[in-house]
Amino acid sequence: MICTAPALKLASTLALAFVLASCGDKAPEPVAVSPTPAPMPVPPPTPTPTSFNVSRCLSQTAVPGRSVADLVVPDLVRLDLTQPAGFPNGRRYLDPVIDITLAVIFLDLRRHPATVFANLPVNPNGVDQPLPDTFPFLAPPLGNPPTANGAGSNFQFRTDPASAYVRVDRAAMPGVSTALISGNPSKNGYNDDTPAIDATAKWVPEIANTLTILTNALADDFGRLGLTICATPN
Amino acid sequence: MVQARWLKKSLLGAAAIALVAFGGGRALVAADHFDPPARTGSDTNTVGFDVAADIADLYAFHDAQNVYLAISFGGPSATNLPGFYDPDVLYTVNVSNVFPRTDVEFPIEIRFGRDGPNPGIQVRNLPGGVSIEGPVERNLTTSNGIVVRAGVFDDPFFFDPQGLRDSRATGTLSFNNQRDRFARLNSTFVILSIPRTLIDRGTPLDVWASSARIRQ
Repeated sequence: MICTAPALKLASTLALAFVLASCGDKAPEPVAVSPTPAPMPVPPPTPTPTSFNVSRCLSQTAVPGRSVADLVVPDLVRLDLTQPAGFPNGRRYLDPVIDITLAVIFLDLRRHPATVFANLPVNPNGVDQPLPDTFPFLAPPLGNPPTANGAGSNFQFRTDPASAYVRVDRAAMPGVSTALISGNPSKNGYNDDTPAIDATAKWVPEIANTLTILTNALADDFGRLGLTICATPN
Repeated sequence: MVQARWLKKSLLGAAAIALVAFGGGRALVAADHFDPPARTGSDTNTVGFDVAADIADLYAFHDAQNVYLAISFGGPSATNLPGFYDPDVLYTVNVSNVFPRTDVEFPIEIRFGRDGPNPGIQVRNLPGGVSIEGPVERNLTTSNGIVVRAGVFDDPFFFDPQGLRDSRATGTLSFNNQRDRFARLNSTFVILSIPRTLIDRGTPLDVWASSARIRQ
């Protein structure tokens, strides 16, 4: 177990009990008993605004040449083949996509890198077994799922055109539909659309509204963690 | 290390609370698993929902020789279950390799079929104008060097949605960094390996995926 200084700095009061339990391997020092001193006046904490404008979050630069808004609208995974692969340039199996997404939508990226959470000394993934370095780069299934053993040679497939099918789901940037689009009916509508429709800015108000609600709820938590948010008080 | 993992979970938990409180009861911080929940079900109830058509994740990465595109669906599933090779679902991996980003140059269509009890896969509209079909759980190679594989694999994604639910119910952060909803579970994947020479036109690739079920 390693309790690093950066991690301790970021630990909030919410983490206090855990910090003591995790890092306190030493027995507590004896405490001298003395008369109870008169209580010192405690200045009231600076109140955290409860209403924020997230425009700057969406317009801030997430990665060179791309704003946060550009990452999520239209909803596409972009892979620049001239750059190393790794979210948000594409997505590899073990990329810490949730950590990075949380950072770029909530934090002031002038003060914190997009990898501020992902760079913590945390096991970067929760995989059950290491991934192989050859195609298809995935670990074999766990347990004993029935297998097809590569059998068969005269397969029959549907010949219906794509227009004969009804959309169920769409997916691209991780977390956009799940986190930044609110509940039904918006979720079904969002999944029925295409990136070309996204590009008309149809879903920008919904995304901004959801991000505003989240920011209003979380701003004080980030403040206690010593992190500067990208949103500005109204 | 544990402390940092807790911090991460705390942040996710805080976000999760806000999501549940303000974003809808079924909101879930995840990639795309269980979304949209009215069609695919939630992480606690998928009975009667379209699990096979629930795209879990979309991946895109590359090396010096190839571009790799992968989708997962029907997961996470128990380790005693076979892959989801539903012949009534059409999966499409949409790829744009020239501007504008939203135009689709390669709507790569993926269908499953049967030869008796044996499931097979058909992939059409691949770069180079080729298609391929054959059995699942085996590498299939096209005439121009594209490799396709469908199969069940250990799902590499991780998250603790129970912590989300408990946090909502109690108002107290209840995430457990040892409780991974996706641990020890599998998902069905289709992975494509495409030689860069077939797809690289000097501009970034833009990729999205969709699933659709045959109209009844």
